[in-house]
Amino acid sequence: MTAAAGAGDLSVDIELGLVPDRRVHRRVAWDRWLGRLLPLAFVAVLFPIIDLLYWIGSEALPTLSWTTLTTNPVGFGGGLYAPLTGTVYLVGIATAIAGTLGIVAGAYTAEFASPRAALIGRLLANLLTGTPAIVVGYFGYFALVLYTHSTFTLWAGAITLSIFMLPYVYRVTDAAFGSVPPSQREASLGAGSTRGQYLRRVALPIAFPQVLSGLFLAMAIGAGETAPLLFTAGWSITPAQGLSSPTSYLSGFIWNYFDQPSNLGHLVILSFQAAFLLIVGVLVLNVAVQLVAERYRRRLRGFFA
Amino acid sequence: MEDQGTRPALGEEPPVVGSGNAPAPPGRVPPNPFSRRSILRALTSPVGWIPGIFLASIVVVLMLSSHFQNFGLGFFGPVWNPNPTDPSVATYGILYFVIGSALTAGFALVLAMLLSLAIAISLVVFLPSPASRILTSLTDLLAGIPSVVYGIWGYVILAPYFSKQLDPALSHYLGWLPGFAASPTEYAGGTGLLLAIFILTIMVVPLTTALLRESLRAIPREQVESGLALGATRWEVLRRVQLPWARRSIPSAVLLGFGRAVGETVAVFMVIGNEVKLPTSLFSGSSTMATLLVGQFDSAFEYPDLLHALVEVALLLLAISLVVNLLGLRYFGSGRMAHVGAGA
Repeated sequence: MTAAAGAGDLSVDIELGLVPDRRVHRRVAWDRWLGRLLPLAFVAVLFPIIDLLYWIGSEALPTLSWTTLTTNPVGFGGGLYAPLTGTVYLVGIATAIAGTLGIVAGAYTAEFASPRAALIGRLLANLLTGTPAIVVGYFGYFALVLYTHSTFTLWAGAITLSIFMLPYVYRVTDAAFGSVPPSQREASLGAGSTRGQYLRRVALPIAFPQVLSGLFLAMAIGAGETAPLLFTAGWSITPAQGLSSPTSYLSGFIWNYFDQPSNLGHLVILSFQAAFLLIVGVLVLNVAVQLVAERYRRRLRGFFA
Repeated sequence: MEDQGTRPALGEEPPVVGSGNAPAPPGRVPPNPFSRRSILRALTSPVGWIPGIFLASIVVVLMLSSHFQNFGLGFFGPVWNPNPTDPSVATYGILYFVIGSALTAGFALVLAMLLSLAIAISLVVFLPSPASRILTSLTDLLAGIPSVVYGIWGYVILAPYFSKQLDPALSHYLGWLPGFAASPTEYAGGTGLLLAIFILTIMVVPLTTALLRESLRAIPREQVESGLALGATRWEVLRRVQLPWARRSIPSAVLLGFGRAVGETVAVFMVIGNEVKLPTSLFSGSSTMATLLVGQFDSAFEYPDLLHALVEVALLLLAISLVVNLLGLRYFGSGRMAHVGAGA
């Protein structure tokens, strides 16, 4: 065995007593360069995002104050109280609907449905996830506005939004109940509990954090959506007069005022602030998802280590 | 059936055992179809299909609202002229919108797949585990940024940059390539196909990355480790083991990403320029089917024909997304999608 000439950095091979010839050197060098070059793709994706976040922060933060959040838009000025509360109402109602239906349907699919029925249910839910938001919006307009001879209402917006959010809750709930360790299920059913008791007393506590993170995820998605709301919740710059009147919402504010001429500059600034609030809300919800998921992981480890 | 002695799949009715000698499958009593339990089960079985029921009602309501016989094959023609003053000469041809959708979604997807392949491979193969974990949550976070925010960013920040810096440079240096030759008036506003493609790429990358990443991670660890133990480098294991193993996921990720890109509405509307014409270059203003739906809805209040035409477009978009997603989901079927973030 000759000395490992020209392979000074291949310390592992030397330790192993291998004699790296030029070919090995080439293979390892190629591997290392790939390991350095491919992660550069992150730069291509993350740089624009950092630019976006920096820009929206620097536009919105200097003028963002408590009064912005607590006053209504008046004329070309005022604050964002109406859109903010509108988004809270819309997402709140939609989460209540999508959460109830999604959790019930997901738990049913995971526990009671026959394998074939569960397969079909999941496939259809995934297809609903892939349905363009604008198509869901058209559906909402026809089903909830036109055919009910009503106008744009907060109700219609919230229901349409809940259809859009539903499959996310459903998928996560289904996966959460499906991932309860079989030993727990067998022990519970073997001890004589009914499947309902098993779901409530055993599966739910284990699956709950994941279900919760699914709800947060759906809320984050719902809060940022625009297309399903435009033709159902309509638009009003003032707070909604009730559940049966058009409402204001953050994404709609951006949509309506993003291209105002600069002599209406304050509206443009307000729409930047609306975008900032949306991003903050969505990021907070997403971080909550990750924290809950982490807690869940730790909890499972505690239980079943 | 009973001769083979196959056990029924879990939850299925076991075959009724006739007079044959084969013993009944162990552990299951053939259910009485009128027992309280069977009736309850039949009544509750649609519960698991609630999302599917909503999907079906979307399809049904849009079909009921459709008046396709009003349009015929001219619907795919090039002239879009919803003439309000004289409805008899109004024509609804969506060819340019279809072209706009195909160009934006197609190019965005090519770019997104290149980027997300590199990112997914780095995450799974090359990056050390802490960095990989942080960057994974970061790419998942990107999926959560609302599309209207991407839109306003594209309109306010990127459009001026594109019109002053990027577009002139591209057309100057790459003008010999088809699609890049353009007169300065074409990129005066900065909005157009190229900006829409750029925004769409950033919006699709989190989804395709998550799909590819999960399919690479789903490979049994023994396969990878035995490759490494034999002395193969990470790249060789990737090429000979992981990529062949995950290769069916790539066309699926393409399809699911396409479904997302073609349905994206709000952000694209804000940056594409919204012109109804055949694009002459990458810098031309254009429109897609989705932006048509959102852009002309307000006028549709006054002209019922226009609303009918828009419903046809919505149906076409729905059909495209259903087909594309059905094909794409053949790989990323049940369950596997549950953890793939806000994507789709």
